[in-house]
Amino acid sequence: MTLSQPSVSPRQPLFGRRYTLETRQQMALHWQALVIGLALLFGLAICALILVGAGVPAGELLNEFVVQTLFDAQNQRAVLFQAAPMIMVGLAGCMAFRARFWNLGLEGQMIWGAIGATAISLFDIGPHALRLPLMMFTAMLCAMLWTLTPVLLKLHLKVNEIISTLMLNYIAANFLLHLVYGSWKDPRDNFPYSPPLQSFERLPDFLTGYNVAILMALVITGLTLWYVGISRAGLYLRFVDANPRVADAVGVPVRKMIIATVLLSGALAGIAGFVVTVGQEGRLTQSFYQGYGFSGILIAFLARNNPVAATVVALLIALLFVAGRNLQVFYQIPFSMVQLIQAILVICVASSDFFIRHRIRRIQAGDC
Amino acid sequence: MDLLTHWLGNAPDFAVPFALAALGLILTERAGVLALGAEGLMLVGALAGIGTQLGVGLAGLSLLAAMIAASTVSLLFALMVLVLRINQVIAGLALVFFCQGLTGLAGTVFGWTNRPVSGLHSVELWPLSELPLVGKVFVQNPLVYLTVLIFIAVVWFLQRTQTGLHLRAVGENPQAADAAGIPVLTYRLAAIVAGAALIGLAGAYIAVLSTKMWIADMTGGRGWIAVSLVIFARWSPWRALAGALLFGAIEALIPQLAAAGVRLPQYFVLMTPYAVTLLVMIWVALSSRESASQPGALGEPFIREQRR
Repeated sequence: MTLSQPSVSPRQPLFGRRYTLETRQQMALHWQALVIGLALLFGLAICALILVGAGVPAGELLNEFVVQTLFDAQNQRAVLFQAAPMIMVGLAGCMAFRARFWNLGLEGQMIWGAIGATAISLFDIGPHALRLPLMMFTAMLCAMLWTLTPVLLKLHLKVNEIISTLMLNYIAANFLLHLVYGSWKDPRDNFPYSPPLQSFERLPDFLTGYNVAILMALVITGLTLWYVGISRAGLYLRFVDANPRVADAVGVPVRKMIIATVLLSGALAGIAGFVVTVGQEGRLTQSFYQGYGFSGILIAFLARNNPVAATVVALLIALLFVAGRNLQVFYQIPFSMVQLIQAILVICVASSDFFIRHRIRRIQAGDC
Repeated sequence: MDLLTHWLGNAPDFAVPFALAALGLILTERAGVLALGAEGLMLVGALAGIGTQLGVGLAGLSLLAAMIAASTVSLLFALMVLVLRINQVIAGLALVFFCQGLTGLAGTVFGWTNRPVSGLHSVELWPLSELPLVGKVFVQNPLVYLTVLIFIAVVWFLQRTQTGLHLRAVGENPQAADAAGIPVLTYRLAAIVAGAALIGLAGAYIAVLSTKMWIADMTGGRGWIAVSLVIFARWSPWRALAGALLFGAIEALIPQLAAAGVRLPQYFVLMTPYAVTLLVMIWVALSSRESASQPGALGEPFIREQRR
């Protein structure tokens, strides 16, 4: 790390020219953790105020969010169940951000993953024993193909990927509606969903009530960790992240690295769509993906693109989702509350970065 | 023929939200602040407009309330990017998600969802409204005409006033502007707040005057389309207005075709605005002139101590 002169400036005085803002070189890790912790506490306090304002009794908050979700067996299972797709979209976010690609298309990629998996079931392709792996493979393939367009557009034409991936989300969502209201609709009743998957097409439980999806998520975390931490690709990726031009000059295949990593991100989102469809819903439904796109980005941001940290954050977000659903049932708090809480936490943590990187210093006499 | 008349007559109604949102974005981005939060601010404007309309019932007041509400929320964005120096992409995205959550929650808690309101009566611009074929274009609610006036005012402000020149200087080269004694952060704050007011107005137009009710997430990506419209328009208000008319015409065509009995797969038709946006982005990239007209310091925080 190069050390430049700390930029002390008497030019930008605050509060009647007695204080000045200056850039910090470094902050000890435990202080950083303290600042982020305080920011999170601040955010949680705001969320608590909003929840109380929306009609949750103040005394019940701790009970609903901590006691109920952590110590009630049924809620524990629900959290783990919810955590599996959450971990996968979080990892998908991490991968894309490591390639400096704003993948806001996680939801569209999930939709295509789910569509791919459901297609295998609907058209009865492959022997029963191989059905689940085949469905997962198709889910990955469909999601990767869907991701290919924005990444190629970005690399070749510099089309802003934020807008292209978001637009592709809306297109995918409308295509999903076309399927579940149209040709893929379950003929037996009047709801917009596909016919149910058969029992051998569902993800089994490894213990009673504990779905195998969470184990899959942990294995994928390990693979992701290997990819970014140990494999040669991960080393290249760090090069590209630090400085794409230098990386290109020393012979790192920058474009290939970016394309491969973003496609992997899409594939992970596709697996998340597969898990929600095959593990939770049991059929293709019209709104299974909602909320995951933002959560995936939030998880990657809070975890600073670290796969292990992403798994931990994803567990906490899954807990928030389960608590949010309980609040919906018991206090009629709309589920948007969950999104609001997530947004407030992101804003607080992003803001804490300012206090890590700057300090306010009192100007001593004779300083200027 | 009837189809064409109705289509032309309805196009401005669909174009105005795009136009106002794009104009607000141009105002903010000309000052060098990358404003990705339009989708969220439109939702805030829409909800505040409906809330006031349900409570008071004066459309003018509702539109004003929407502008004030969006401006107030944009102060949070200003705090993030101007004071706390958060990456403008992260701050913009966080703002969208914050507003989506906030409006979804508030709409339900206050019980404003799916409650119809009365909009504004149309005003005929006689004698233009008597013209054959295009007559219906001149039968619009007052805000449509006002939008044209707002455009003229903003263009005049940006091109002909010293304050407008200062604002553009702040967006092109904040260091030089600072050296010339222009208060960079004050200008950026003003640009964010004023832009947000226009974006909020665009949202209120959709809710109060077009749809005439509040539904969660009702803007449906129009804020993002406006963001791409600004790139397409190369930050020029008049080109943005032309682009808004294009998108308005596309959106207006959807119900007209359905009414005319044309059998099209409904959800593919609903995809068109998004697909067109994507195509427009590709077209802009292929013609590759946008970089020259992009504000020079777009997306860069201004930190006086860190000279370039």
